[in-house]
Amino acid sequence: MLTLLDQLDKGTLWRSPGGIHPPEVKFLSNATPIGQLPLASTYLVPVPQVGENCTLAVKVGDKVLKGTPLTQGTSIWHLPVHAPTSGTVVAIEPRASNHASALPVNTCVIAADGKDTWCELVPNQLDDLSHQQIVDKIRSAGIAGMGGAAFPTHIKLNPVSEIDLVIINGVECEPYISADDRLMREYSQDILAGIGIIHRLLAPKRIVIAIEDNKPEAAKAMQAAVNQCGLPAGSIRVTVIPTKYPSGGEKQLIQIITGREVPSGSIPAKLGIVVHNVGTAFAIHQAVTQGKPLVERVVTVTGKNVSKPGNYWLPIGTPVDHVLTATEFTPEAEQKVIIGGPMMGHALANIQVPILKGTNCILVPSSQEIGSAPEEKACIRCGECATACPALLLPQQLFWHAKAEEYDKAASYNLKDCIECGCCSYVCPSDIPLVEYYRIAKSALKQAADEKQQAERAKQRFDARLARLEEEKLAREAKAKEAAERRQATMTGTDKNAVAEAMARIAAKKAAAAQAATGGATIEQPATAELNATATDTTAAPKGKAAVAAAIARAKAKKAAQANTESTKTHSVETDSAQIDSSANVDETESATDVIAQEAPLSQKDKVAAAIARAKAKKAAQQTDTAPLEPTETADSTSELNAADDKKAKVAAAVARAKAKKAAQQAETNAENGLNQTATPAVDSKANVQADVNDDTEAAATDINDAEAIKKAKVAAAVARAKAKKIAAASAESKTDAEIESVDVIRAEANVASPSIAATLDTATTEADAVLPSQGSAAEPIETAQLSSEELKKARIAATIAKAKAKKAALAQEANASSDSSVTND
Amino acid sequence: MSGILIAVILLTLLALVFGVLLGFAALKFKVEGNPIVDELEAILPQTQCGQCGYPGCRPYAEAIANGDKVNKCPPGGTATMEKLATLMGVEPEPLNAEAQSQVKKVAYIREDECIGCTKCIQACPVDAIIGAGKLMHTVLTTDCTGCDLCVEPCPVDCIDMIPVTQNLKNWNWRLNAIPVTLIQETLSKEIQSKDPQLEEEKRC
Repeated sequence: MLTLLDQLDKGTLWRSPGGIHPPEVKFLSNATPIGQLPLASTYLVPVPQVGENCTLAVKVGDKVLKGTPLTQGTSIWHLPVHAPTSGTVVAIEPRASNHASALPVNTCVIAADGKDTWCELVPNQLDDLSHQQIVDKIRSAGIAGMGGAAFPTHIKLNPVSEIDLVIINGVECEPYISADDRLMREYSQDILAGIGIIHRLLAPKRIVIAIEDNKPEAAKAMQAAVNQCGLPAGSIRVTVIPTKYPSGGEKQLIQIITGREVPSGSIPAKLGIVVHNVGTAFAIHQAVTQGKPLVERVVTVTGKNVSKPGNYWLPIGTPVDHVLTATEFTPEAEQKVIIGGPMMGHALANIQVPILKGTNCILVPSSQEIGSAPEEKACIRCGECATACPALLLPQQLFWHAKAEEYDKAASYNLKDCIECGCCSYVCPSDIPLVEYYRIAKSALKQAADEKQQAERAKQRFDARLARLEEEKLAREAKAKEAAERRQATMTGTDKNAVAEAMARIAAKKAAAAQAATGGATIEQPATAELNATATDTTAAPKGKAAVAAAIARAKAKKAAQANTESTKTHSVETDSAQIDSSANVDETESATDVIAQEAPLSQKDKVAAAIARAKAKKAAQQTDTAPLEPTETADSTSELNAADDKKAKVAAAVARAKAKKAAQQAETNAENGLNQTATPAVDSKANVQADVNDDTEAAATDINDAEAIKKAKVAAAVARAKAKKIAAASAESKTDAEIESVDVIRAEANVASPSIAATLDTATTEADAVLPSQGSAAEPIETAQLSSEELKKARIAATIAKAKAKKAALAQEANASSDSSVTND
Repeated sequence: MSGILIAVILLTLLALVFGVLLGFAALKFKVEGNPIVDELEAILPQTQCGQCGYPGCRPYAEAIANGDKVNKCPPGGTATMEKLATLMGVEPEPLNAEAQSQVKKVAYIREDECIGCTKCIQACPVDAIIGAGKLMHTVLTTDCTGCDLCVEPCPVDCIDMIPVTQNLKNWNWRLNAIPVTLIQETLSKEIQSKDPQLEEEKRC
């Protein structure tokens, strides 16, 4: 019994199953030596080619030399690509790929400068290099399997298991291709040098160079080179194998040489065997000893439709159309351009695609050579395909299931072991494109597998998320519990009381807000906006015992409003007044907040006033929100107010307080003056004063009447003071607001407010008096007001309501003054 | 008489022995949960999208095991429904939801518009969105199941569902069948198809 090595030495061959003998057309291209083609103007280098994770080493506009690496990467699978010629990178963009799909892939477009200058090459003495250095050099030269699959060579040269046998594949079984044939004939010494490097790296027991018997010249040249080389005698031999397609397939070749079958789903390295192409061995030699990266390869350009068929050194990235033009290609109708051989290649949808590292042939057949695909007929179950299949599969069963889209069943017939050699399609009497069906089935299976994997990962992630959420929840609960315990332990009696008080305060606030809200809701029936404002003013009052006073005031307000609506009908400036009213509301809000800021230093009375003002401010805010006339402007001013009030209100408050004191003194006298002045000035000029103003001045008048009735100037003074404060605040506010570009209304108001506070007060009171006699209906409310004034407390509250009204009146008037040019200040 | 007695005693003994055996086996070989749920879950696409009305794929698998319908999984499509029907031994039914497009999609966050609210992160059932509060978020496209759950909570509508781009790795041979039509053929067909129209017009 001979061992495997003995049999290898003897040259024993085994039969591989299946296979076909298609007509040989190698004579078209193998007669002439490997030629050179003129440089193309642009080169298209897809990046990345093998191994996805890498970064570009160049950018658009960079000058590159021949051999400059275009990509960098750290992954073991990364294989750099290099500039195929010297020139400029003009674009890095998706371009059609040299793939059956023609999908665009990222491509580095290099405009050649025509000089074809090499970058600096570092030749090496093989003996100086360690194994790792050699593998690194092979990797950085970007060497991929040149047989067609373009598997990174450095991985195959760095196997985990012991390698006993290296097979150098010079079989080249595809009927048209002769690239390896010519390479072996012309560069046998270089190939042997490359084999020497492989021998050094892998240290196999035997190296077998396998060549088909239809290439006797190549076999002879290789044998001569083997005889001359320095490798140990007996460790390397040339084995000529019988011509049969597809003997060049890796698994088939192993079976022919060793008689062993690579198990399904396994790789040859598991058997201690590695197969390299002769072109790869040549490229390894170039890379290691001369330092040249893989930038060009031998490509067979063949077919009856090129007038110069043959083998050419083509830079990687040469556009196919350039090659065809240079070899004088004459296209015919429905011309096919096939990349690879006729058996396993794919037709191009677009010839603006580059030559890749695995491209060994461009075939442009005439219609006599390869006709259009005949019509597919029904499978007759002849079994020819099963006989031809080199992988011992059952092609008709696979076809059956693939066609029915029962991919699971197809997979159970070992579809994945199909090498897509095309033998079954070749022998099929029904002209069924079987391989196409298998490709579809394979991609569907791959997709299903990917989906399954993704579903599995999604499930894991979902479970992990649930676990995490649960954990977080528990942690949170534990933390809360711990914190509560700590609080319980440290809390004293007073703290508890403080908390209870705070809770009570919050509850009270909420209740107040609710009350205010319901008050606002009930009174929103009146038609005019200004009436609404007045009504809310009155309803804001009901606090403590003020309910009676409020009721009276409301009745008054209603009557006054009725009268006013009648009067406003006659006026043509209705819309103007409404507009001003809404802006007045905004101003009111501002003043109210100022009052809040001032709250602390003020007296008890002022506090009540402030509370009312606050409630009013809320109402005003609600109103301004709903006001249909100037929604954007009001919104702006309120937001500005919010922004301003924090910092500026305090300052304004301080200023206002100081001013208020002065103003109060002034105002007191003015108020008295106003009372005395009762009548004459310009009722006509005020004819178009707004309903709102009328309303409020009427209320102010009530206030004055109250003051008269009680005969306490204090109240009047308080009214005046509040007014003065408000005006002062408004002016202070407008000063600060000027910086942040407040609304125009406020600025205009500032103009009116600043000249003299007294003047405005004067007009307000004057007007009040002017209105009084003109409205007969107002007499009754005034009497009731006088009645109510008997009770001092009630009166005080009424006074505060009136005060608030007066504020508004003053404001409205100011606004009016700013809009109407005919007002007193002018 | 004694024969009958012996038979009765023997049978009673046998019954006792087998009773004990069965009882032991019931305890010893007790199956936790319903094994069919695992099988059903393996069929479901694990998008965890909740379109079936259950919070995740496992709850839906449990519901099917308890007699719920098998046609409530739009991401799985008809193929999944058929598998579920076969496993449960029920008649396949058309999908409940509107047949959504079978193109796989993944979420994409327009990052310059993202305000960093973390709402989408909380919504994602598979933790495929990364980011932190007030910082930009982004989607891990390889982990995104395309369940749409993050689109709704986004306050600034900066999440798009974009179809997965086709590349050389996920390219399907059938999908790219370029319909090649001969110009002359189509022309002649057009002429043919026009003729009856003309005739119809004339009739009108």
